[in-house]
Amino acid sequence: MAPTTRSLAQRGSPFLDPGPVTKANSLALLHLSRDNLEPVYLAQTAGEHDGYAEGVVVNTRYGSYPHSSMIGIPWGTQIRASKVDTGSRGRKRKRPNGDDAGPSSDGTPADTPAETETPEPPQNPAKQPVATTSGFIHILPPTPELWTLSLPHRTQVVYTPDYSYILHRIRARPGTVLIEAGAGSGSFSHASVRAVYNGYPDRDGKHKGKVFSYEFHEDRYRKMKKEIQDHGLEGLVQLTHRDVYNGGFLVDGESPKASSIFLDLPSPWEALPHLSRQRPQSDKAENGSETTEEDEKPWVSPLDPKKNAYLCTFSPCIEQVTRTVSALRRLGWVDIDMLEIAHRKLHTVRDRVGLNLPYDRSVNVSAKDVDEALGRLTEIEDRLRENSRPRAGADAMDDDDDIEADDNNITAPASTAEASSARPWKDGRLVTRGEPEIKSHTSYLVFAILPREWTGEQEAAALAKYPVGETGHIVGALDKAARKKERREHLESLKNQGSRKARRNEGFERLAKISETAV
Amino acid sequence: MDSVIKPGAWVVLQLPSGINRVIQVSPNTTISLGKYGSFPANLILERPYNLTFEILDRKEGEKFSRLRVVPTAELYAEIFADEASPECAAPTPNAGVATPAEPASAESTGQATAGKDVTETELKLLDENARQTLTQDEIEELKKNVTNAGKSVIDKLMSSHTAIDQKTSFSLAKYKLLKTKKYIRRFKVLPVDVPNFLEWQLSERDPSKILDIRAEMLGLVGCWANVHYGGDAVYLEDPGARCDAGGEAYAPLKPELFKGRWLVVDDTCGALTAAMAERMGLLYPEEEEDEDEEGEEDRDDQEKEETDQSAQQNTEPPAKTSKPPRGPRPSDFAIPYSQTNTITVVHAASQPNLSFLKYWGFDITAPNHPPHPLLNHLLNLTWLQLVQPERDLAYSLPPLTTSAETLMSWKPSRRGNFHRKRRRSARIRHIVDATRAGNFSGLVCASTMDPVSILKYTLPLLAGGATVAIYSPSIEPLAELADCFSVPRRTAWTSGSVPETAGKTAEELERWPGTPDFPLNPTLLLGTSLQTSRARRSQVLPGRTHPLMTERGGAEGYVFTAFRAKPAEGHVEAMGKWKKKKTEGSNSSVAAAAAAQDAAPVGADKDIPVEDATDPLPADEEMTDAPAPLAE
Repeated sequence: MAPTTRSLAQRGSPFLDPGPVTKANSLALLHLSRDNLEPVYLAQTAGEHDGYAEGVVVNTRYGSYPHSSMIGIPWGTQIRASKVDTGSRGRKRKRPNGDDAGPSSDGTPADTPAETETPEPPQNPAKQPVATTSGFIHILPPTPELWTLSLPHRTQVVYTPDYSYILHRIRARPGTVLIEAGAGSGSFSHASVRAVYNGYPDRDGKHKGKVFSYEFHEDRYRKMKKEIQDHGLEGLVQLTHRDVYNGGFLVDGESPKASSIFLDLPSPWEALPHLSRQRPQSDKAENGSETTEEDEKPWVSPLDPKKNAYLCTFSPCIEQVTRTVSALRRLGWVDIDMLEIAHRKLHTVRDRVGLNLPYDRSVNVSAKDVDEALGRLTEIEDRLRENSRPRAGADAMDDDDDIEADDNNITAPASTAEASSARPWKDGRLVTRGEPEIKSHTSYLVFAILPREWTGEQEAAALAKYPVGETGHIVGALDKAARKKERREHLESLKNQGSRKARRNEGFERLAKISETAV
Repeated sequence: MDSVIKPGAWVVLQLPSGINRVIQVSPNTTISLGKYGSFPANLILERPYNLTFEILDRKEGEKFSRLRVVPTAELYAEIFADEASPECAAPTPNAGVATPAEPASAESTGQATAGKDVTETELKLLDENARQTLTQDEIEELKKNVTNAGKSVIDKLMSSHTAIDQKTSFSLAKYKLLKTKKYIRRFKVLPVDVPNFLEWQLSERDPSKILDIRAEMLGLVGCWANVHYGGDAVYLEDPGARCDAGGEAYAPLKPELFKGRWLVVDDTCGALTAAMAERMGLLYPEEEEDEDEEGEEDRDDQEKEETDQSAQQNTEPPAKTSKPPRGPRPSDFAIPYSQTNTITVVHAASQPNLSFLKYWGFDITAPNHPPHPLLNHLLNLTWLQLVQPERDLAYSLPPLTTSAETLMSWKPSRRGNFHRKRRRSARIRHIVDATRAGNFSGLVCASTMDPVSILKYTLPLLAGGATVAIYSPSIEPLAELADCFSVPRRTAWTSGSVPETAGKTAEELERWPGTPDFPLNPTLLLGTSLQTSRARRSQVLPGRTHPLMTERGGAEGYVFTAFRAKPAEGHVEAMGKWKKKKTEGSNSSVAAAAAAQDAAPVGADKDIPVEDATDPLPADEEMTDAPAPLAE
């Protein structure tokens, strides 16, 4: 699907700053339709590739698109399909094998790697792509939303409605350090790195936003690592291959100093003790008698000691939630809040109902209102009455034909009149409908806050800085007496000073009254 | 964002009754919480947010109440007791985590005896008032001399309730909660950040002022609009204009520097702008470790000095600095705005209404503003300035000019006015020109205006691939907008059945003035989508976990999202639209595909199945957009 050359030499992620035009060796998303996007790493090839004269080619159901026709153009551009010889390349490749007298089982495996490893020498430069008469796609810059729609699934994906709300609630803002455990398919990683990004880390060591991501699964870890590289997110996402239940969150023994945490784990309560301010009690309790060495080592918290920590866990089952919440309470987290996000997508449709509309798949041929129904019914009744009148020497067959003919005579002119003015984009009533299938449950979200530590010394320092003594003005809710007193004082002060503006306004009012009485 | 309460900061006070109050904490004042008591503001300054404080009883000889930080173990004491009790069906907490549950404290008297079968008590139908032995007068008396932060009242009430042992654990918990909410003298201090502000505005103040925009919708808008940090600040070079230089000396626009700029239409009094600024790292002033705020004084001094001196500076700092130009004073025509990471607000009135930004220390009308990141990154202009700038006086009038000698002869105040007006006209010129130059990274809207009319003027300003996210409290305006980009409309447009488009260049079509049938050019947006989202809260208590019984109603809120497309010039046809037979063979790619069939092993997953290629569908949109046939 994607070419093998994907090295991103330049710094800068297409997710964070795609630039005005598409670039070679960078990720782009081909927009085939709203929910059908194809990620492509644009490759600049000098000559033929994989049998295509135009270099690397993407084939879709809407035509073939050589990469060379998609590099260096503004994002969002509509691209015409190119005339690509998709047929003969298969034959060409086959021919050398076929010439060797029949199907040789030993020849194929030997040949194929050789072909892929050594790209054909670019003796003839890539063919200039030629546009066809039909077929097009659009090319879009990658965003976490579009990536979420198109990414290769490795696990259950955290979708946009969920992660948008989570990031808002866990205060993932530029400059935040965020812990994400269970990198999964990487949709949350991409969204969170965009949220915390405030520049690539510099030599000056200025505080920058960063995502610390942990993945237990070896295969997913490797794939994710590659993705981070390909997307230019090195330095912004630090991926660690670890079981956080036992291993905790420290990276090389150092604290990430995080203030936002997202746990997408099967049992978040097992990871929670690591996210404490102090050595969790259970540690001591467990080690009990043989604590010596463990206790002597200073315990390092992965949290920023100067900030409140905001946490969200993502669990599909209610049992997980109750256990998580119970653990959170015991570990001193506050403002615990559990909810789920119900998201709906809607479509707009032109609802076309009527007896006289031109026939179309989307038209509902029935009366559009009572009047139309009445008109139709009376018409039928009238005709019936006419027909039920005894006619001399007439046969029933003719009568029936007459009715049908009449029916056609009446409706036909109306339908042609409608058809002549038919504007399918404007007819009918505009209505909205939900999708045929909705995601009714994704997961329960548990939010909690762990306030920064507050010691006696800090309290004393604060008290010394802002000593409690004489206090003046009262802020907030007042009782009735105090409110009245304040109001009285305020009026007094107005009377005594009397600003110039107030006096002038009074003067105007007096004048207005005088003029009114005069009239 | 500070993690401790700074003097002068706005904070949310969360009271036991669930009511939130937003106040500004100034040193040496008293904060009153109504019936819950009052305390000196100094006692919460420099303390962390999100702690629960308890108002202590006044000491002998002190005229104020001191505070105590309530440890979480105490806050959750009852829940822990519940978890420990065998009646509770809650799963046993994990052994690895659990600290031993505290024994039921004195507060939960009657806990052990409480909790009979629900059906049993329901038969008895307790009358609450009849069972409370304390009379109203006695309760009033109790409330007057509250001790132990209200716990004494609660205990007394609980112990004087004769039917306490007949209550189920559920009703007992409810009763206790009710009384606690009423009497306990505790409060919490939360920071005023966007999520907390939204919550407060929706639940306590006027939700219609922020168009009922909930956090989940704001999150969606921000994400779909791809609002994020748009790069380090870049400033234009100071043109170093002398006081006799007119409009020709304005700093020239440099569109190549533009990066990460978002266009905003905000009728939420600034809530939307604040949320965007938060996402772009512009809402909170940088945290300082040390306390001195010399920046503030600096700027004031600078402004004052400016009135006393002429503006004849010729040497200026280089074009790209990471800080606003400092050192030698900038000339009148120096542009204070960054070229990257900016929010451009277009407003219908002559002044923007961004009043809610005051909670984050920003006031767009203040002349001498203390430093704030938004100062250099928030640009605003009126619709008139955007659409017909020549009709706007502030834009079209040339800047004042005078010779250096005349300027020196003026009084300082007049000189100050002269400079201020020149600065203003240079700034307006820059904002209008930069906005009209377009190339915005996205458009974000939460407006009472018709979205179709907004897009009519803003679509040409968006860069290719730019994001559009429009919020509306009700769906009708957005449905109408989405209908402008419907498949039938697009098909009609591209197939050339709109006579008005004939002979127009791509540029002209981009600035499509709109006809009654086609108010917008339907090919300018891609992947249009309508969505809504709502959070459903639950309470989580041992054995009593369930969704909340009531939640806020009102406007549901919807978001329209799309991406800006750059349509190809000339006639574009969807693949396979009119070709019913592949044997017609005029199309070489179809012929080639047909040829591919007899070629043996083609990468089957890559090549187009011929049937698919001739699918009689408009290629650009999916089937679901086509109206579904109704049942006969």
